[in-house]
Order: sequence, then structure tokens, then C-alpha cells
Amino acid sequence: MREICFYLAGAGAVFFSALMLFQRGLYAGAACLLGALLQVGVLLYLAGSPLVGFLQVVIYAGGVMALIVVAVMSAPADDRDAAMWGVFSVPRPLVAGSVLLLGVELALACAGGGAPGAVGATGALDKTLGNVLFGPYALATEAAALLLFVAALALVSGPQRRAR
Amino acid sequence: MTPAVQVGLALFGLGLAAVALRGRLLAMLLGLELMIAGVTVILTYQAGVFGDPAGLAAVVLIIAVAAAEAVVGLCLILRLHHAGLSGEASSLSELRE
Repeated sequence: MREICFYLAGAGAVFFSALMLFQRGLYAGAACLLGALLQVGVLLYLAGSPLVGFLQVVIYAGGVMALIVVAVMSAPADDRDAAMWGVFSVPRPLVAGSVLLLGVELALACAGGGAPGAVGATGALDKTLGNVLFGPYALATEAAALLLFVAALALVSGPQRRAR
Repeated sequence: MTPAVQVGLALFGLGLAAVALRGRLLAMLLGLELMIAGVTVILTYQAGVFGDPAGLAAVVLIIAVAAAEAVVGLCLILRLHHAGLSGEASSLSELRE
């Protein structure tokens, strides 16, 4: 059952990625990317790491996609953009169906039973991930955290500097 | 080649095509995110196959760095918009001249 879910999620990810490539409107492209990232989250879950899949959905499909939508909304809206704004080259229910597909895949994966990672992985790596992150890779972890902090500062201080 | 690697390579290739073929900076950034997603799929799968938690640590660090990259990239694009420049990559030719 998990292998079927894996193939389903892989096909969904590639499908929505290819769809994104052929979208003329930025908003439509962002919606297709959201579908692809949700499917990648399922792939990571099924590949043996539910934690990384969860991070993928929360950080990419959540935070980064929200920022992308804000950036798309603040794009200059001249006549050409206005014409392209709501253009979907595919039916909108298909894009909305990516969320439904995510639920179906997770339900099928859970119905299969057993530990995650039936597609070639052990599934026990998440337990040792913390030891690795704050052991031999502690410096890299701290550097990544500092980088995220600086990026958040850039996000906050940018509009304030413009306001002055 | 395993299905996970095939999917990862397909995502990477489609993202690369988006970066190379699209002219808008935001669309290029979307392609970049897709490329990183492909890399994370391959790394996570291989970490599971070899039972090496260092691979997962690399994936977590890549996700963090990529999120920071997306934030900085979107900030720069927003600045361009507020400066009155278009979002086309071809319009940024100051260094080329």
C-alpha cells in the first residue's frame, strides 16, 4: 500500500511541477508549486522521515509559499499583468485537488500500517537526527539558525527602511 | 535507478527548466524551490537506504538555508517592485553595462 502511495505522490509531484512550468500567471504557478511541495512532503514521509516531511510542509508549503503569494500580490499590476492575473491553464479544481490527493495518500499510507519508511528506509533515523544535528554538525546548525535570523531581520527591516 | 531518485531528478530538471526558460524573477525563484525539493527527496531517500542520519541532518540544514534564501530573494524582488522596476530578469542589466 505504501509503495502505491509513493508512486502516486511521485507522479503527483512531477505532474504539478510540469504544470507549474507551463503556467503564464504567477499566482497559478505558485498554486501549482504548492501542490508539488505537498506531494514532496508525502514523498519524504514515505521515504523514511516523517519529521523532514513535516518540516517540508510547514516551512515550504506554509511559510515560504505565504511569502511568495505576498510577493506576487505586491507585483506591479499593469494591464498585461491584470490580464494574466487569474489565468489558469488548467481547471482550478485540479489544483485544489492536490490537497485532497495529499489526504488520500496519507490515509492510504496509514491504512497500510507499520512504521514509515517501507520504501527502502529504516524509519528510525529521526530518533538520531537530534544527536547528529547538535553533535558533529552543531556548528552548521548554529550557522543555519543565524542565517534564518538574519533573513528574518531583512524581511522585517526592509519595509521600515522604505517607510522612512 | 530507484523511483525516488527518478522523481528527485525529474523535479530538479523541471525546476532547472523553469529557471532557464522563465523570464520573471519570481517564476525563477519558484523553479529554484523546485530544484531544492528534488534534492531533498533524493537525499532523504538515500539517507534511509544507507541508514545514515547525517543525510537527514544535511536535508534539515538545506531546508533551513533554502528558506533563508527564499526570504532574501523575495525581499529583493519586493524592493525591485517598490523601486519601480519590472520583475523581468532581463531588466536588470546594470552590472552588464
